[in-house]
Amino acid sequence: MANEKTQASDVISGEWNVRYNYSVGKVAGTFFDALKERKILATKSSKSGMSYLPPRAYCERSFEPCDEWIEAGHEGVIEAATIVSAAFEHLPPPPYAIAYVRLDGVDTAMINFVRDLDMSDVGAAMDKLKPGTRVKVEFIDDPKGEVTDFHYVL
Amino acid sequence: MSPQQVAVIGTGQTVFKKHHDDKTYAELVQDATLAALADAKMTPDEIDAVVFSMAPTEFAGIHDIEKWSVDSIFGAGKPLMRVHTGGATGGSALHAGYTHVASGLFRNVLVVGADRVAETPDAQHILNLIWDRFYEFDFALNTVTMTALSTQRQMARYGTTEEQFAQVVVRARANALKNPNAHLKGKITIGDVMNSPAVAWPYKLFDCCPRSSGGAAMVLTTLDGAREKCANPAFVNGIGATSSTVFQGDKTGPKADVEYADLAELEIAGKEAFAQAGITNPMKEIQVAELYDPFSSMQFPQLESLGFCGRGEAPALSDAGAFDLGSDLTVSPSGGSLCTNPIGVTGLVRAIEAANQVMQRAGDMQVSGVRNAVATAIGGSAQFYTASVFGADHL
Amino acid sequence: MAPRYQENDAYILGVTLHEAKPRVTDKRLEEMVYDTAKEALDAVGINRRALDHVTIAACDELDGRSISSMLLAAPAGAYLKDEIKATDSGLTGLCLEATRIRSGRFHLGLLVSWNKSSIAPFEDVMRMRCEPFYTRPIGLNMSITDGLFAAAMQGADEAQASKVAASYGQAAAKNPRGVASDPVAAGAIAASPYVSTPLREGHRPPVTDGAVAMVVVSGAWLNDHPDATPMARLSGIGWSLESYQLGADRLASMQGLKTAFSDAMEDAGLSNAGDLDVIEIEAQTAFHDIATRQALALPADQTVSPSGGPFAQNPYFCAGLISAAEAVLQVAGQAGPVQAGRVKTAAAIGFHGFAHQGNVTAIFEEIPA
Repeated sequence: MANEKTQASDVISGEWNVRYNYSVGKVAGTFFDALKERKILATKSSKSGMSYLPPRAYCERSFEPCDEWIEAGHEGVIEAATIVSAAFEHLPPPPYAIAYVRLDGVDTAMINFVRDLDMSDVGAAMDKLKPGTRVKVEFIDDPKGEVTDFHYVL
Repeated sequence: MSPQQVAVIGTGQTVFKKHHDDKTYAELVQDATLAALADAKMTPDEIDAVVFSMAPTEFAGIHDIEKWSVDSIFGAGKPLMRVHTGGATGGSALHAGYTHVASGLFRNVLVVGADRVAETPDAQHILNLIWDRFYEFDFALNTVTMTALSTQRQMARYGTTEEQFAQVVVRARANALKNPNAHLKGKITIGDVMNSPAVAWPYKLFDCCPRSSGGAAMVLTTLDGAREKCANPAFVNGIGATSSTVFQGDKTGPKADVEYADLAELEIAGKEAFAQAGITNPMKEIQVAELYDPFSSMQFPQLESLGFCGRGEAPALSDAGAFDLGSDLTVSPSGGSLCTNPIGVTGLVRAIEAANQVMQRAGDMQVSGVRNAVATAIGGSAQFYTASVFGADHL
Repeated sequence: MAPRYQENDAYILGVTLHEAKPRVTDKRLEEMVYDTAKEALDAVGINRRALDHVTIAACDELDGRSISSMLLAAPAGAYLKDEIKATDSGLTGLCLEATRIRSGRFHLGLLVSWNKSSIAPFEDVMRMRCEPFYTRPIGLNMSITDGLFAAAMQGADEAQASKVAASYGQAAAKNPRGVASDPVAAGAIAASPYVSTPLREGHRPPVTDGAVAMVVVSGAWLNDHPDATPMARLSGIGWSLESYQLGADRLASMQGLKTAFSDAMEDAGLSNAGDLDVIEIEAQTAFHDIATRQALALPADQTVSPSGGPFAQNPYFCAGLISAAEAVLQVAGQAGPVQAGRVKTAAAIGFHGFAHQGNVTAIFEEIPA
């Protein structure tokens, strides 16, 4: 009503929508192009011997540039996993499973969805995702050059 | 030449709750500042410099919010800087305040901040945006799922059960009943935790912190300043911090430097802080640990990383009551971050609660005979760690 | 024999600037930061493992990520190191770094700051620094608040500003570390469109992409490493944050600048601005230069901004730290084509926030032979 006083507890609404442009940079382009060919490429530092997924331009430990590319195997081992049951804004509808998987031949683990998993009993499903479990990489039919081109399956 | 002594002589907090409906952000930091100044027996003019503690300002919706707040905290015309290390911000702000004083550049330093995490309904969306747009953004990583992942690993390695984590929540909420400022508090059971809605395995709702709003502040000064103003200051005897990789997958496998499940970076930060403080046997020499634990599973690896017990031993000790109020080591007598998590200042609140214990100002939460207390803060993808040791005696 | 260096003083061992470009399009931000940090360490022969701390300065919103240090701490050399991020400006990072070294707890550190302006909508980020009650509905950003500042200044006119901008452009054109440019004549500047009256487009430089790193050491570290050759001593530092309000007095009095400057001068044991051989001013607009000269009563023959300041390169967030790097180069006699002769002391004056709300002065002194 026109004559009501504004209270301390009233609110003013605001919103901020921002768009960003991120340069692809030195290594991401090679990685994404390889995905279109169903290849997963990791970077490696000859100095430290460390290989990295996600790929990066330099080795954090030796602080030397990564100067090699190697191809990761399409199988690997779960290092950590969880099943999300709650709905979060702007995130996929639950339930879904995500896991860090260390692919064969690569020293570090990379996150992705675990698909084709029966999650009607979350506890039973989690039993199948224990650290150390081996999983396979599966590519979608029409890879576009994005990380969602592949996922893990048991 | 040994560094100058730095002492905490006053602290202040607002009550923490989901929304402070009747206050602006600037008013919250003012309330915290006034409380800390009163506790320190100081007037605003006596403050020589300010360190502002605030993490992503997207929650509160005003960028560089300290620039707007400067007038409300009597900071206009003073040296003021803000630091930001995600969830560890409050710990880093304390460390920056420490070097402000120890450098000899400033005598009295105010460390202050506030957060209003629930100002936006999009808090977890913002926290999803901290992940790399190219490689991680699509996988629904946020602070809940990222910690759930390392917890699943912790359970597999050490056999820790969901019930053992639930006991941590029960203890925290009970401790918080004595904390007038805590957001969540109450007498709950392990069953209450186990039956709360599933979020991301193994977490249920009660395993997770609330989104809290409120302000906190602390006044630091020199040894001389402390002698003038304070009968029993808390001396900042040790500071240690470690920043790690953002890529959590690097912390797994045979070539990992630090193990993902162990929050092992805190070993490095803790060793440094304890060495400075002359602590050689943490369990014997430290009576209170205020741990940064927005999730129930985070206490055990931190206690182990700090050397209070061996790897994998904390859960059994917890079950046996070794960390209860009034035992040899009281863990988070305030209820910790599980009960109150105003992200930008949570680390500062941990430090305040630890310092208050040493200063004998913890009210109903006061543990008797506190000579040393440690506070931790963690930020990013369990990436930024601070450890701070407060002592009743200076070095 | 008495130790050569004062134990708890801060010394600059080396400075490195990323190649200055209007837009860095072929690297991700963290690749830019890594390249800069790596080069800074290599240039002085320090292995990253030897560092006992890292200080970074960056802005989440300009970096395009919340908690951007999550991605950027390790490229800045901070993997398993004690690292803190300052958020106000690159030059504020130097303030934090100074407290860390002078506390006696830290001895060998890397200070890194950057701005990849091409990532985020710059002025829209600035707009979000308005509080939502009184200023955001009207809409302020950097251009507009600088326009208000220019309008509020007493004793400054547009013609003078155009001449100052032209002279900055001329200096910038000589600076090999800046973006290659052709200087614009004062007449053309005076005819350039208004941005926010009386501020014209030509009165200020565009925002560019860049990064800067400094290896900072304590005197104690230098005493333990007699073969090291520091470039300069950080002899004085001061900083001050003014009120958020934008009234005429706040805009024109330059009180924050005066406080920061006099604190730094006192710290350095100097009393006269004329004692400074060079002053690098982070002139985000020509009016900043004019206001600084007036407020500090600089002698007419003072050597000011031989590098061209932000007109040479302007990665906004770290532009003030780049001014400091240029001051260090002057003191070390390594400024090349823009070297202003023998320089014993040089100051860098930086600003941040709306209309110089934040002010930092850093003073560097040559290392005696």
